[in-house]
Amino acid sequence: MVEKYDALVIGGGVAGMESALVLADAGYKVLLVEKSPSIGGKMAELSKVFPTTDCAGCIISPKIAATSKHPNIKMMTYSEVKEIYKEDEGKFKVKVLKRPRYIDEDACIGCQRCEYACPVLVPDEYNYGLVARKAAYIYFAMASPRIAQIDLDNCILCGRCERVCPTEAVNFLQQPEELEFEVKAVILATGFKPFDAALKTEYGYGKYPNVIHALEMERLLAPSRPYNAVLRPSDGKIPDKVAWVLCVGSRDKSLGNPICSRVCCMYSAKQAILFSAAQLLADLTVYYMDIRAFGKGFEEFYNMAEDMGIRFVKGKVAKIEETENNNLIVRVENFETGEIEEEEYDMVVLAIGLLANSDVIKVFKNVNVELDPYGFINQFDVNANPVLTNVKGVFVAGCASGPKDIPDSIVEAGAAAAQCIDYLYELGYKISKVETAEPEGVVSGK
Amino acid sequence: MVNDRIGVYICHCGGNISDVVDVYKVVEAVKDMPEVAVAREYMFMCSDPGQKLIEDDIKNYNLNGVVVASCSPHLHELTFRGAVQRGGLNPYLFEQINIREHSAWVHKHEPEAATEKAIRLVRSGIAKVSLARELSTIRVDMEPKVLVVGAGIAGIRAALDLAKADVEVYLVEKQPFIGGRVAQGYGAYPSGRMGSEIIKELIEELKKEESKIKLFTNAEIKSLGGTIGKFHVVVQVNPRYVVGNCSNFNDAIEKCPIEVPDEFNYGLTKRKAIYYPYEGAYPELPVIDMENCNKCGECVKICGGAINLEQEAETVEFDVSTIVLATGFNPYEPKEGEFGYKQFEGVITLPVFERLMALSNGKLTYNGKEVKEIAFIYCVGSREKDGEHEYCSRYCCTATLNASLAALEKYNDLRIYHIYRDIRAYGKYERYYEEAGKKGELFLRYVPEEPPVVEKEGDKLIVKVKDQLTFGEEIELPVDMVVLSVGMEPRNEDVFQMLRVPFSRDGFLQEIHPKIRPVETAIGGVLICGTCQAPRDTVETTASASAVAAKTETYTLKGYTELEPFIAEVDAEKCTGCGDCVPECPTEAIELKEVAGGEKKAFINEVLCIGCGACGGICPEEAINLRGYRYDQLRKMIDAMVEEV
Repeated sequence: MVEKYDALVIGGGVAGMESALVLADAGYKVLLVEKSPSIGGKMAELSKVFPTTDCAGCIISPKIAATSKHPNIKMMTYSEVKEIYKEDEGKFKVKVLKRPRYIDEDACIGCQRCEYACPVLVPDEYNYGLVARKAAYIYFAMASPRIAQIDLDNCILCGRCERVCPTEAVNFLQQPEELEFEVKAVILATGFKPFDAALKTEYGYGKYPNVIHALEMERLLAPSRPYNAVLRPSDGKIPDKVAWVLCVGSRDKSLGNPICSRVCCMYSAKQAILFSAAQLLADLTVYYMDIRAFGKGFEEFYNMAEDMGIRFVKGKVAKIEETENNNLIVRVENFETGEIEEEEYDMVVLAIGLLANSDVIKVFKNVNVELDPYGFINQFDVNANPVLTNVKGVFVAGCASGPKDIPDSIVEAGAAAAQCIDYLYELGYKISKVETAEPEGVVSGK
Repeated sequence: MVNDRIGVYICHCGGNISDVVDVYKVVEAVKDMPEVAVAREYMFMCSDPGQKLIEDDIKNYNLNGVVVASCSPHLHELTFRGAVQRGGLNPYLFEQINIREHSAWVHKHEPEAATEKAIRLVRSGIAKVSLARELSTIRVDMEPKVLVVGAGIAGIRAALDLAKADVEVYLVEKQPFIGGRVAQGYGAYPSGRMGSEIIKELIEELKKEESKIKLFTNAEIKSLGGTIGKFHVVVQVNPRYVVGNCSNFNDAIEKCPIEVPDEFNYGLTKRKAIYYPYEGAYPELPVIDMENCNKCGECVKICGGAINLEQEAETVEFDVSTIVLATGFNPYEPKEGEFGYKQFEGVITLPVFERLMALSNGKLTYNGKEVKEIAFIYCVGSREKDGEHEYCSRYCCTATLNASLAALEKYNDLRIYHIYRDIRAYGKYERYYEEAGKKGELFLRYVPEEPPVVEKEGDKLIVKVKDQLTFGEEIELPVDMVVLSVGMEPRNEDVFQMLRVPFSRDGFLQEIHPKIRPVETAIGGVLICGTCQAPRDTVETTASASAVAAKTETYTLKGYTELEPFIAEVDAEKCTGCGDCVPECPTEAIELKEVAGGEKKAFINEVLCIGCGACGGICPEEAINLRGYRYDQLRKMIDAMVEEV
């Protein structure tokens, strides 16, 4: 018997979780598939979020907990949707590849003893290599599911994890599994790809140690940060003078991304505010093309940053060079003065843009999900119904259809759930009133 | 009654707690308390085995209370309530104590003090649970009936989505026709389609759902009472004076002798007293504007029974379980003299310019004069740092670029200048900015300290700009028209007062939390979408309208919702009926009622009460307690907390 669900949500970031939760709360059964070892997505990596400066973890962890505990949601992490066939309206056949963690998921209690015992150290992806993790590890502190995995590429097969595991969960012979499901609708919430800062060669990312990108800065500023301080990579000193360079990989045709990424102005202002709050005397500058503080409370937030003494300079940075002591010289044409300026900084943060992450369309085997000119999932009826794709029964939410901030992504995720419910109703899959506290899911069929 | 068989569980949180707090010492410090039956520590209480531990202990030790000391209740209160319930105990005989954020994390460098604080916190939790009583959630039935206020694009989208999921919708619109400001706009970005076309398509969909959507136009909400699950709505439907169909409405309109400025076209044209605002407007019946009608009877001669000049307003009453506010915005109306507005001919706002385009074919003309050169001035009524509107209105940059490009395409030889501060053509809208540049439209940048000045010289308007892009050069632009790119202003509707919905600092309606609960307000069952919440474009507006529909459906499809039981409770024996509590209540949940014997007592409406505790604070007799936070519990908690460790 193939397991059946009312909806498949691809992507367990903030948008995917929200769509899944709304559908599940309304009484539908949802299959949520996430590629990485934990749900939470990019938001789980962030420090604090604009314009409220709430701790990102504090906002997202209740959603992570609600998603993983919801009786109507089946969550598959470390798994990838491989094939989708649309056989009919309301009938999609789905193949999911479940990658091996080399840990028995049912047995693991998340005690981390394997992690403590493992002798291998490798750069930690979650922290963008700022610190190391073990080869046997839990993805991050708030990960859900809280299950360890073994990175076999780096494992030396010493067997220490196996010996200390109290529940005998380690299994080096685990194989990938391919599972089949049938779902009635699909929501694409695959998010974005961050721009690779090294491609902007003039700025020296990857060459100059003190040029970092914004997601690295997020980790350095997060409450769960690695060193409990913002340290510059070359020598571990606390930087006094920091610059943010906006529109790196956005609004830049030469790098293939002509559009604006919507969030970089605001997250840079936020990072500067957070940095400044920890270090009152720091000298902070933001180089921008246009400050796009357009959302609710954003302009007020930007004004606050200016009032805190953060300098905003209109000018496109032409080049960054390194000095002998690993300081950085930023060369920029200041639009307000018309002068070419050179200024020395301890550290430079590149505000990298959000690129399309639309590989998911390849899994559709007999229908074509259309992309827009920038490679994002195309919004088929963008003004009247922005979450529809060109394929009936397939919906899109969050950054999968274009760069977006968290509030806009969450709102769209709710909208995708609404359109999904309407689609199911149109096909006759209605929810009946439930008398008990536990929702029971779909009762009447086609 | 004291709960004296309490299970206490101290969580390591995988080191998050136990690296700082000595959890073994905490267990030692509480295990011999008289109310405690069993005390344990465990690596992860929230894990499945951790929860199983609680369930098993409840059975094996016959527990009558549970305390878990771990992370913030925001994270796992529901998790542990579930475990307690599965163990067979009332879930409110449980307390989660936060020793992670409140102890381990904030006192990272003082492990001993952190441990002492944890012990005090856990002891107070035990004290609270020892006096806890069984509680149950307040279940509220949710009939699938919803009121949507406003039938612009947001209200229509929400109504459609709800109706398609079998929800009965009452859609109430103040104006005689639906479609709101999108129908008025010219081309909508980013689809490039005409606003009126988008609305027409939605209306076609609306007609298909006629059985589920009751539409009231020309209608005002007169009163709104009640709470989530049962709001009582009174709507006054004002007379349309057109009561039936007639094949000759167009003749009747032509014969009408009255001409007044047409508000749909911002007075650029005239309309009759009997009119449609535009072709394809819905409902399909025209309306008579009685303020201007002189009852000459010309239209009656043609359409007879379809017209009733004596029609009276009707009142309709109904109950709904939730309310969706989709009341929209007002375009900012510049002050007289602001950039020459109402001072010089040819200075108009962006919405007026869009109507002008819709009306001018061939050549762009205004008051009979051809327009060749246009200057758009941005951020009018927006981004005033110390002024009335600090906020950015979000849509105007792209809307202005979009309108300028549409003008360039429709009319020959236009010369266009954009006088801006920052071009906020965010996301994919960047292409409008790029295209305007490519098409030769010129951009000049001003700073708010030195705004552009509009003057009149002969036939021309002169715009003087100190342009940042040429490093402060003073430039004079002779133009035929100045278009002010005005922002969005919040409206203030009577329904906001009736429902007491809170406002944000910017005057728009306030959501509970922009990320956690972005479409709900602090008033249970009242949801918001579209531009009554914040400036937005149509894409963001329709998305929020659908999101509201989804949220509503999580109630209505299930058929009920549950409210937390932490509300006020009156001890009738102590209550003297003084009534001091009544005015304290912010939700008017308290009523004095006469009981047998003629005495008056306070009564609390369970659904209205939000558990704020204001009434308890004012009560001179301590007759009002908050369920779950009673005085005896709080006193015992304080005693436990100050006791020697």
